[in-house]
Amino acid sequence: MKTKSLKEKIITWSRVKSPWILHFNSGGCNGCDIEVVDALTPRYDLERFGIQLKPTPRHADVMVVSGPVTRQQIKRIKRIYDQMAEPKFVVAVGACACSGGVFDGCYCVAPGGLDKVVPVSAYIPGCPVRPEAVIDGVVKLLGSLQK
Amino acid sequence: MAIENVLLALFYVLIFPGIWFLATYGMTLEWVDRKLGAVLQNRVGPPWFQPMADFVKLVSKEVIIPKACDTLMFRNLPYFAVAGVTAAMMMIPVWNGALFSFEGDLIAVIYLLTIPTATFFLAGWSSTSPYAAIGSMRVLTQLFAYEVPLMLALIGPAILAGSWNITAIAEHFARNPAYMPAQIPGFLVAVLALQGKLERLPFDMPHAKTEIVGGQFTEYTGRLLAFFNMAVSMEMVVGAALLNAVFLGGGLGLTGIGAFALFMLKTFGVVLLLVVLRVLMARIRIEQMVNFCWQILAPLAMAQIVFDIFLRIKLG
Repeated sequence: MKTKSLKEKIITWSRVKSPWILHFNSGGCNGCDIEVVDALTPRYDLERFGIQLKPTPRHADVMVVSGPVTRQQIKRIKRIYDQMAEPKFVVAVGACACSGGVFDGCYCVAPGGLDKVVPVSAYIPGCPVRPEAVIDGVVKLLGSLQK
Repeated sequence: MAIENVLLALFYVLIFPGIWFLATYGMTLEWVDRKLGAVLQNRVGPPWFQPMADFVKLVSKEVIIPKACDTLMFRNLPYFAVAGVTAAMMMIPVWNGALFSFEGDLIAVIYLLTIPTATFFLAGWSSTSPYAAIGSMRVLTQLFAYEVPLMLALIGPAILAGSWNITAIAEHFARNPAYMPAQIPGFLVAVLALQGKLERLPFDMPHAKTEIVGGQFTEYTGRLLAFFNMAVSMEMVVGAALLNAVFLGGGLGLTGIGAFALFMLKTFGVVLLLVVLRVLMARIRIEQMVNFCWQILAPLAMAQIVFDIFLRIKLG
């Protein structure tokens, strides 16, 4: 493994300590959305990890996508992904976003889940996911950055 | 001789009380703001290095400049915001008086503190996104709402001290601390107006994320956003320092470390008030804010001025 310079180390540290997330519903049933919002409430307090919910893709580092990708949403999700600034990550939240779930094969859903549309960095399964699982997934994604 | 003067001027601008001091203290206050808000909401809150991590991360991110933007303005506005705030800090006393003190520097500081707001408006306008345009119009509407009460509130102590010089006002209060309780209504008006100037709850309509996405900063990324955030944090320091000097008597006649500790203590106190306001209140609508500022804050500040005039005539 190549050793990193101090500057790279500091930048990686700052990225791990301050992930700003953008929440995007690509056509889900709202179950996972409620759980993502739940993870942001004072009970779980994501701000202690530096995670903040940002309203615009321009500010965000991590796009949290929930739900199966409907055909209507394909070009919109690509566009929002392009609007984010590098480095950017996508987290698929819930069984539907990971694989299409029970909606896989439906006439209005893109086959095979989110990773057929945009590159996905982490998958968090569950129907719906638990808030602890969301936090665990994001923390593991950030831990993988340090390697 | 000339070289020494240049070095000293550079020290003032870059280190103390210029950009470095403002940046570190601004980050500290931003952390205090977020941490206290979290504690008041029964949360743990971010660690102490959070604002620094946010800044480094944003600086190291890609900068996207949309095609439709006015590139020149879009690129340079964040630095103008930081420069305006830093220039205002040069005229506010931290300890033994301000660096550049002259008759009328109170007016100069108020106008310099309008520069960041003007850059926020231009930032939203030059990004040409509809959300940013709505946000920037709200910035201007809000400016017309809080600017007048803020100025009126700051005029009160100036009349009482008989001077437009911030240092002279601070010294006047340090000599006559009994006048300070009489300024409480004016101080409260100034705190509320400062809350509006910093665009924090309940006056955060310009970048209300549930309504208009990111407001005037919708299209900003990376380094440019980092410097805008930095400008807002610095503005909080300068605003708190201004209220400290004008209403709370600055160093209260102390010198050296004591005065600096007092400065820290009192700016923390002002920020504590701002945090409690932010946590307690929900966002109001823009026309409610204009009504509130013009119907309640401005008359209150006027009453304070009239009272101060009487006080001055009565007590000489």
